Amino acid sequence: MIRRQIYTTHKRLFHFSLKCFNSQTHAIAKPDLTAINPSEKSHFKNLAATWWDETGSQRILHKMNLLRMDFINDVIKSRLSLNEAITDPEQKVFIPGWNFQNILPEEVSHEIQKEIDQATREKCGDLQLKCLDIGCGGGILSESLARLSIVESVKGIDMTPEVIQVAKLHKKLDPLLEDKLSYKVISLEHIDEKEKYDVITMMELLEHVDYPAMIVKEALSHLNPDGYLFISTINRDFVSWFTTIFMGEHVLNIVPVGTHTYGKYIKQRELKEFVDEFQKDYRVVDSKNCGYFPTVGWFFTGIENMGNYMMAIKRKE
Amino acid sequence: MLSRRFFATAVKEVTHVSDVVIVGGGPAGLTMAAAIKSSHILKDLQCTLVESSDMCRSLQDYCDDPPERILNRCVSITPATVEHMKQLAAWKFVRPDRIQNYDYIRTYDGLTNASMDFDSPNLATMIENSNIQSSLYQRILELNSEQPLNQLVLKDNTKVTGITRDSKTNWPIVKLSNGDTIKTRLLIGCDGGRSPVRKFAGIESRGWAYNTWGIVGTLKYKNTGFRSPTGWQRFLPTGPLAQLPLPDSWLSIVWSVPPELAMILMSLSDKSFISILNAASRLSQDELNYLYKIARDEPEKLQDEVNWRLQVFNNKLTADQEEKYPLEVDYIVPKSRGRFPLKLSHADDYVDERIALVGDAAHTTHPLAGQGLNMGQADIQSLVKTLETARERGLDYGTKFALEPYFSTRYPANHVMLGVVDKIHKIYSAKFPPLVWARSLGVNVLNNLPLLKDLIVGQVSHRKMP
Repeated sequence: MIRRQIYTTHKRLFHFSLKCFNSQTHAIAKPDLTAINPSEKSHFKNLAATWWDETGSQRILHKMNLLRMDFINDVIKSRLSLNEAITDPEQKVFIPGWNFQNILPEEVSHEIQKEIDQATREKCGDLQLKCLDIGCGGGILSESLARLSIVESVKGIDMTPEVIQVAKLHKKLDPLLEDKLSYKVISLEHIDEKEKYDVITMMELLEHVDYPAMIVKEALSHLNPDGYLFISTINRDFVSWFTTIFMGEHVLNIVPVGTHTYGKYIKQRELKEFVDEFQKDYRVVDSKNCGYFPTVGWFFTGIENMGNYMMAIKRKE
Repeated sequence: MLSRRFFATAVKEVTHVSDVVIVGGGPAGLTMAAAIKSSHILKDLQCTLVESSDMCRSLQDYCDDPPERILNRCVSITPATVEHMKQLAAWKFVRPDRIQNYDYIRTYDGLTNASMDFDSPNLATMIENSNIQSSLYQRILELNSEQPLNQLVLKDNTKVTGITRDSKTNWPIVKLSNGDTIKTRLLIGCDGGRSPVRKFAGIESRGWAYNTWGIVGTLKYKNTGFRSPTGWQRFLPTGPLAQLPLPDSWLSIVWSVPPELAMILMSLSDKSFISILNAASRLSQDELNYLYKIARDEPEKLQDEVNWRLQVFNNKLTADQEEKYPLEVDYIVPKSRGRFPLKLSHADDYVDERIALVGDAAHTTHPLAGQGLNMGQADIQSLVKTLETARERGLDYGTKFALEPYFSTRYPANHVMLGVVDKIHKIYSAKFPPLVWARSLGVNVLNNLPLLKDLIVGQVSHRKMP
């Protein structure tokens, strides 16, 4: 009952703001270029109730989150300078830099890996990352980030109040998250430009907005030195159309119809070229393509410029 | 005053909050605890183990001053299990003088004497349950001294009196007989075949009782020269009789028999029991049926009857043929005879929201292939790996979603093993002549196909983990 009331109140507000926008008041209020497209917004509003049903329509998103976390963990952990500030060569960790697992005997490569893992764990103990999750939705990624020991705090932002409501409710189920995670209904543009983060994530976001370039640029400006921006989106190609729209929405009904708009997909190459424009300060450090197969789940495909992909952009020191 | 008291009880409702609660201090529960506390990724979790028996004292006693004779609760463990215990750094606490490696298993048919031999270096190891538990307990004490601020809490002499769920978060709340209540993110049931945790989760366990009892005991072979340690198994129509080697000519038996025969065997004197056991490892089924009748009606005549028949049988054996039977037993440790019911069961699911089942709580099997404890160890390896991955990915590792990979890895593997063991049991229980002939032919053929046999050996000793 109460939920219904909130819902109708919100609907009225939503129409009101639209009316304001149409009646030439936009000269005063600057149009929010990083905002989500209104029709997309209402689509996500409808998903709010089932967001955390891991067996329901969002299961595929929960599954995808596993791969995202693997990607994020790998990018951060494999780029730690393990031998930084160690002068004694005896104390330095031996990092072969070549594929030692395939060449050395198992016992030796196992020992080398053990040493690297140990040093990585120690180094991770020093990390206290501040994270911003843009387009956090119900908080699937935000919660996962917040539970990591290397993360100090996570701020999740989204433009749809209903999903933020869901995220806030779900957060209460885990006492671990209480001090580490916060949510806010706000657009990226309205975040204070002085707020800087070590990790910014924009997962499955660019394909739902009207001005992706603006958002990427805005997000990069909030990175701390050595910070990472993680993006995941979908290539504009036949394979993506076939898997995400034709099979995913219409044939197998894995995700609700209307989740994706083909025209908004961005090619991996285009995104990389865009970042390369700012290569004085930012660099694409890793990019991986992934695919989904029913019963198997998500996996990295290793085929570039095809289907879904993730990208890590690092700000230079 | 009244309101204050009411408030006090309301606050007292949950006295502790834990990350993981393990119910059961058997080999599975202790391994689970040691594995969590040994893992770099999980060791900082707050972990509590609840056990109803006087576990800590009895395991410490075993460690300081073990009983003179080997205890009757023994298991056969595979090299994979030994390897796992080594990884957990618990194997160094095992008392090596009380375990026996063996390289040979000889199985033979009670009706046709068709036999199949398996050999492989360190095919399996016989060990007392207490030896496993004690080593794990010592390892846990060692881990606790390494992490004094976040020790594994061992609550023995404590029963679980009830389990409920928190109304807000849905986390399980475990009520204990000492008055404590623990709210936990993950509840792991290592609480055996009749698992209260499984019942709380409402997970159905399917299967059937074999209408069979397993009789166990610790015995000694007559000293008639050296033989390599060998596991013997005779498939009698009443159920398999397994004789498994322990150090210094000692042996442990698991004799599966129908309930009425179990009653007879349990009621015999130690001497008579030894006689009928020797008979059962050599004589024909017709003779055995006759001897069982004597054991029931005139037990005092049993020994003479068996001795005479065995003498006739043995006189016909050549030295080569003698090798095909286990040695004669001539001593049993008094009061070491025990029995337990055998059943096959498999839970429909091993996981639910904030619940995981491990070992016998998830599946029980016939002991004829010596797989029960080993399946539990493989469960633990898989569950720990699942928890590690979930934690690295920032998942709430108590959710069913995070625990699912454990179930999807272990269920099919366990199902196959349970099925195979069940089929072996069924095939060998048959007395229908064409079937008996077919199985003996099959066994004789199999015994001469080394490649296929190696494959079977690899499977039962878990040489390669999937």
